[in-house]
Amino acid sequence: MNLWGTLLAKDLRRVVRNPWPWLIHLAVPLAITALLGLAFGRGGASGTELGRIRFGLVDEDDSALSRLLRGGLGQGEGGKYLEPVVLDRATALARLQANELAAVVVLPPHFTRDYLTGRAPVTLELIKNPAQSIHPAVLEELLGALVTGLNALARNLAAEFPAWRAALEEGADYRRVAELIVRTGERLDTLRRYLDPPLISYSREVRPGEAKAGPAPNLFGYLLAGLGTMFLLFQANIAMGDLYREVAGRTFARYHTLHARVSPFLAAKGVFVMVMVLTGAAILLGGGGWLFGLRWQHPGVLALLALGYAVFAAGYTAVFAALVTEARAADALSNLVAMALGLAGGCAFPPQALPAFLREHITPLLPTAWLAESIRELEFGSAPVDWPGILLRLVALGAGLLGLAAGWFRRRFARGQIL
Amino acid sequence: MYLLRVEGLSKAFGTLRAVDNVSFAVHAGELYGLLGPNGAGKTTTLSIIAGLLRPDAGEVVVDGVHLQDDPQRARRFLGVVPQELALYEELTARENLEFWGRLAGLSAREARRRAAELLEALALTDRAHDPVKTYSGGMKRRVNLGCALLHRPRLLLLDEPTVGIDPQARVNLLDFICGLQRDGTAILYTTHYLEEAETLCQRIGILDHGRLLAKGTLEELQQRLGGDRLFVLEGNLGDAAPDTWPGFAARFRVIQRTARQLVVAARETRDPAECLRDLLALPVHVENVTLKRPSLNDVFLQLTGRDLRE
Repeated sequence: MNLWGTLLAKDLRRVVRNPWPWLIHLAVPLAITALLGLAFGRGGASGTELGRIRFGLVDEDDSALSRLLRGGLGQGEGGKYLEPVVLDRATALARLQANELAAVVVLPPHFTRDYLTGRAPVTLELIKNPAQSIHPAVLEELLGALVTGLNALARNLAAEFPAWRAALEEGADYRRVAELIVRTGERLDTLRRYLDPPLISYSREVRPGEAKAGPAPNLFGYLLAGLGTMFLLFQANIAMGDLYREVAGRTFARYHTLHARVSPFLAAKGVFVMVMVLTGAAILLGGGGWLFGLRWQHPGVLALLALGYAVFAAGYTAVFAALVTEARAADALSNLVAMALGLAGGCAFPPQALPAFLREHITPLLPTAWLAESIRELEFGSAPVDWPGILLRLVALGAGLLGLAAGWFRRRFARGQIL
Repeated sequence: MYLLRVEGLSKAFGTLRAVDNVSFAVHAGELYGLLGPNGAGKTTTLSIIAGLLRPDAGEVVVDGVHLQDDPQRARRFLGVVPQELALYEELTARENLEFWGRLAGLSAREARRRAAELLEALALTDRAHDPVKTYSGGMKRRVNLGCALLHRPRLLLLDEPTVGIDPQARVNLLDFICGLQRDGTAILYTTHYLEEAETLCQRIGILDHGRLLAKGTLEELQQRLGGDRLFVLEGNLGDAAPDTWPGFAARFRVIQRTARQLVVAARETRDPAECLRDLLALPVHVENVTLKRPSLNDVFLQLTGRDLRE
């Protein structure tokens, strides 16, 4: 084993003896991904769908109309997305409390009477589960649509309502109900020309060649790509922090008593950073994929991009090591800048959510964005990804930073500012 | 034959002259001590010889090789034991030794063999597979020493190797160092412990404020005080004025003076009984007079006016 190999083997052996700082930094993005993924989209088995919305339905009216409504909710197309559970109010609230329901919808007493007579405003009650976000919000939107529809009916068919009320409350014979259906149907038919075809519509065109049948977007994968990119820089920072520990612990000086040239030591430390970033990437993407049921479509390309990013991460942390004397200052500064690079690079938020100036002028320049967006587009997107170009950019930037850092470090070393 | 020659070495940090025109030499197989208080410039001198610091002036020659001209070749002869424990605490003693052996240029097999030898010699075989962080201070010091010996250096630089360890561990370590010297390794040993310098070193250089004030064997240094004995006068000497005592300055030299004690040395080799008679005849009330062999502390005192133990 040559000098580099001996130095690298020593560092890796030390990592194995004390892996906790590394594991914690790898566990954090996985935990955040899991938390955010679960909070914003509990998903189906594949983790790619919204899943059926399970909600409590409290029917305090218990009329023919309310029974019709509650029966229709779980049927047909609605049944694909909605899973109403009919309960009394107390039970429904208890199950909401136990996080078993996304929300509770209450049909109030006299719902049918008030609606059909227009005697009093009708208010449907929606109680949302604060522990969930997406499902209650969707349910709220659906309830809004239902209310709009009922209002439209009430305004257009007000003349029919007394008869309907009588039929529903007093129990009419089939002939009378049939007449009501025919009459109401005719009135609805006169409205058809206003509704169908609609006065305003839009068309959607998918050009041949642009469409790509890629895998469906995956929230876990999307989050993991971004958070992993950011946390790999923290991982690199721990690895480069070892250089400070070697200087402070005098092992670097001891090395220098045996070798006049310090560049092999520094180069081995750079390689160590790259190995740790690559190992971290493998654990995050491989372990994360296993944990969240992701199936990476382009593992080879991802590995190459991770290699490029490892070169960049080594260069990035080496610059701080070369310029900042104090280990703690370098650590804090490097982590702070890494966080800024991560946030501005769209690692924690979708880039579309960033301020326009940042999104258009800064984010495209950031290596964090290059990697995170490449992974997202490759795995879950439809746009083509110029991954060889991105790999080249990452390697070139990393190599440039490493070169600069080596020059600065050697200059400080020659001035006696290191030992 | 000189294995190490240091000539006119100087190094300043800003306005502080840490090493000021220091010259000395170490013979092959010799144990040379650099004695001085903290901040005297011992570690800086050693760091320059080890190639860790670049001197402002002067030269270092190791076995005929100028350090500045061929630093890598000069380093091959050197083994450096820093004052700090320059070890990887997560690794075991064996792993540390093998690692530094590999870095010194040994093959993997040779490094393993030498590590086993040194573990045996340093009485660490039983704990060889334990991480260094679980060791006592004395054991860590032994590993720290061992890591510099893998490649059998001809010149060993030891920077205060016994700092911070208990007396028993210190004795064991010093025995081991004496054994190295007996086997022919030249050793440059820095210390601020008088006893270590007196008992271990064949020749001693006394450093203070970056300057080498005196050098030589213990006898040669004692001779600077005018022979092999000092007279210690005790009594109420607060008002004593030795300069005014008739004939005193011509016959004696004051080494140290306090309100209760006056330490003097005879200027020439004279009969001790005659010296005692002269001292008892001084115009001052002396309660007690004792004779003692001059120590390195007395030499340091005479050279600097300060006690090395202060």
